[in-house]
Parts: sequence; C-alpha cells; structure tokens
Amino acid sequence: MRALEPWVEAPLATFLAESSARLTLLMTSAGQVVAQHGFTRAFDVMSAAALGAAIMASTDELARLMEVPAFHALSHQGAHYGLFLSGFDTPRGRWIGLVVFGPESSLGLVQLFFQRMVADLVTVAPGPEPTGQVLGEDFEDELNASLRTLFGQ
Amino acid sequence: MQDLAVALESITRVHGVRGAMVVSVSDGLVVAESLMEDIDGAPIAALTASLATRLRRTTEAAGRRQPTFLHLRADTGTVLAVPSSGDLLVVAIGEQDVNVGLARLEMLHLAERGI
Amino acid sequence: MRSGGAMTDDIRVMTAQLAADPASMVFLPLGEALRQRGQLEAAEKVAVSGLGRYPESADAHDLYARILGDGGQLEQAFDEWDIALRLDPEHVGAHKGIGFLYFVAGDLERALSHLETAARTLPEDAGAQAALARVKETLARQPTGNGDLSGDGAGVLDVPPLDVDGADPARLFAGLEGAEDGLILLDTRGLRLGGGLTSPDGTEVADAVSAHLAGVSQEAGRTARLLGLGSWISLAAESPDGHLFMVAPTTETLLLVVRERSVPLGRLAVVTERAATVARSWLEGLR
Repeated sequence: MRALEPWVEAPLATFLAESSARLTLLMTSAGQVVAQHGFTRAFDVMSAAALGAAIMASTDELARLMEVPAFHALSHQGAHYGLFLSGFDTPRGRWIGLVVFGPESSLGLVQLFFQRMVADLVTVAPGPEPTGQVLGEDFEDELNASLRTLFGQ
Repeated sequence: MQDLAVALESITRVHGVRGAMVVSVSDGLVVAESLMEDIDGAPIAALTASLATRLRRTTEAAGRRQPTFLHLRADTGTVLAVPSSGDLLVVAIGEQDVNVGLARLEMLHLAERGI
Repeated sequence: MRSGGAMTDDIRVMTAQLAADPASMVFLPLGEALRQRGQLEAAEKVAVSGLGRYPESADAHDLYARILGDGGQLEQAFDEWDIALRLDPEHVGAHKGIGFLYFVAGDLERALSHLETAARTLPEDAGAQAALARVKETLARQPTGNGDLSGDGAGVLDVPPLDVDGADPARLFAGLEGAEDGLILLDTRGLRLGGGLTSPDGTEVADAVSAHLAGVSQEAGRTARLLGLGSWISLAAESPDGHLFMVAPTTETLLLVVRERSVPLGRLAVVTERAATVARSWLEGLR
C-alpha cells in the first residue's frame, strides 16, 4: 500500500485488512491518484484511475439526464473477481474509490468497510488544500513525483 | 418478496429475535429483511455471509458436509444462520436469551420449503 | 476475538487513556494486552515508560519481565522478576516467572520453591497450580536438580526460548472425552498446538482444519463487535455428519471440538468448556 499523504494510510490499511480487497485505488474526481494498493505498474494505475474517473463522470451525467440523484456507487461481478466503484466527499474535495475483490471477500464486506474507511478519512483529513491551477506548468513533474511515491521508484 | 417478508415474520415472532433476513452468501447482501427499526441489515448480511463461508470451508476440510445451522453466541446477543438452497442464507439476530431452539426450527422450516 | 477486534478496541481505549493521563496505571493492562498480541516492541515501550514513573512497582517489573521473557531475553527477565520480589516478596507473577525460569534451566528444587509460594499465595491461580503439579511430576521422575542458575539469581541463563514444543502436546487433552480424535487447539496462525481430528473416512484432517480456522476467531470477534454484541463466546455449526463447537481459551488460541450429530450441542458446550480449561492451564504452564 502506498499513499501520497500519510493521513490516508491508516484508514486505507484498515479497509484492506478487513475487506481483503485485491486492488484498491483512491483518486480525486479528476483522476489524480491519492493512494493505491496491489498495483505493480505505473501504467496500470494511471489507466485504472483514468477509466474509473471517466465511469463515475459518465454515471453522474446519466443521473443528471434522468433527473435523479447521483449514483453513489456501482459494482460489477465477474466469474472470479468483483469491482466496486464509489464516489465520496472529503474535506479535500470529492474522491473516488476503485476496489477489485476476489472470492475471499464479497461486495457486502467491501461496501461495509468502504463506508467505514470513508468515515475515517473524513475524520482524519486535514482542511482543504489551497486552490491553485489544476494543470500548472509543473503538472508533469508533480505527476511523475506522485508515481514515484506510489511505486517507490 | 412480500411472501418472503411474511415468512421472515414467523422467525421474528420468536422470543428474543430482533430481526431476520435472507442473505446472498456470495455477495454478502440483503435479499429480504424483517428487522427492528434500530437494526441495520447490511453489516449483518456482509459479516454473517463471510463467517458462514469460512465455516463451510472448515467443515469441508473436516470431511463433513456443509453446515445446516450456525450459532454465534456473544456477550450481549446471538447470531443464527441456516443455509438455504442455492446461494441463500437465512439469518436471525437476537438477544442473549433468545429461544434458539424455536428460532432454529422456524429458520430450518423457511430454508427447507425453498425461498 | 476475546476477539482480536475487541482486543484492538481495548488497546485503543487504553492508549487514549494513557495519552490523556501519562501518570495513569493503565500502562499495566495496556502493556499486557500488547504483549498478548505479540506486539513486544510496543509493549516494551509502554512498560519501560511506566517503570520510569513507577520504579518501585512490582507489577511494572513483572510486566517488563514477561515481555522480556516472550522475547527470549530470559536473563534480563530473571533480573526484573528478582527486582519485583525484592519490592514485593509475595508477588505471585514474579514467583511464577522465576519458577518457570528455574524449571527450564533444570533447577527443579528452586522452581518448586517459587511455584509453591505462588500457589500458596494465590490458591485459585490455575496456572500456578498446573505448573507446580508439572514440576512435582518431573521431580518425581528426576529427583536431582542440576540447574545453571547461581543462588542469588545473578548467573547467566543459558536456556531455550519459550516454546510450546517443549511441552507434550500429544497428551494435552489426556483424560478428556475424545482426547485423541475430535479436539484441536490451534494458534491464530492456524498452526495446531495439540489434539487431533480425523474425517469420517479416517483421514487425518487436523492440520487442514486448523489452517482453515486460522482467522475464525478474529472473524467471529469482528462480527460480534461490529453488530454491537460485545465479545464472542462460542461458535457452533451443525452438519449432517456431526457438530463443531469453537471457543477461544485465550486471545491467541482457538479450540475446536467435533462430535457425532447424536451429541447434543448443549453437552458439546460443556465438553468444550472443560477442554478449554485444560488448554488454558496447559498454556499457562508453558509460560
């Protein structure tokens, strides 16, 4: 498990221990990775973050078209693995969690402990970050630094 | 689903039972429930399904067929579970002094007649 | 699973209490809880910090000695228990600890003396009684002790670390109903400590079942705790081929009893509780 900010580590570690999730990705709604567990390659985590954020954006747009409240979470169940994707609000803005779990866990367990992790994150999160340019001149440097942190490279 | 809710009430009528539900074992999600207002069914479903799965693997490892009844006794309450056909589990949560024998019979009755 | 979860909660609460009031004596149960969980580094910090404030507390020296003992630092553990006895000559924990160290060092006479004092001071302490009985039994077979310890306890203890293999797990449940087949004591890692189990077709399945049960205690504890039911007491499963009954004799162990379906669950609960008492005494005697 690797996280860009230390305060994310304890809630995420508890979630991983209790849910037995295989892969977990926490990201901002813009797709910027905050923490990851289980991914071994930077390319995978970047793709997963981009796709997860895109799915949540599409779902939000569908809800808007249908004039219904936004969907908080969605899940897919495959033959061996399940996928859980959920957005949630933190003092640092809206985040997205992407979780892949195997037969040693279940959607119910993932949902249960995901909710607890969100509550823990909200409790321990520092205040909002100062606003700045999303894509500043040094965005690529920041991205590369983030990936180095997340993969220890 | 309406029939199922009625059927669950035969379990919740037992002395000491605070709620009964049908749970999907593989998902750990609630299929139907009849619970007291202060009880959240989602954690019961997730945790009981997980425990039942682990005990099924244990009995298999012991060379025994899968359990027909599970009973977790705790300081201030009790969780009972009866696997039904397919992937379903009948679950009841009760007080410490719940009538386990009667609750078990009602749960077995529901499980055996098919959900 | 005490559940693992409930223990974690206890530790959290006690840690918060100690942080709020560093002079609190809560460091004693906190250090012991951490030791029981195998978090020896954290337990040692708590104990040393407590000793800094209460250097004349025999209980604090006893706690530190047990932590050192678990870490295999037996010579230092002896010194701490020795200090505890100087502060409180009737300290049961220190007598048991030093008695144990003399026993593993082969000085049965001194072990007997300390354990007799412990058993006399606190007759209801099953661990002290069990250890005393074991030393007497060993003495009866081998009446001359030749320990390495010097008389004042300052000598070097060249003894093996605490190890459950040092006892006789095969005889753990001797005398109990189904002692040879149908009783398993295992640790939290799913390793069998004692007992045995075969399947209905006669296959030995004790180790496989133990492996599957590795996390059951934690899972049962988590379920009870998160559903607001407190700590778990027992877990029973009925199968068409027999009944399974589980309890946690200590925070680090799980006991499984398996019987034919004709044995009522109520009777199985009694059998399991008896076996749990035996297991607790056996485990305590190892310390």
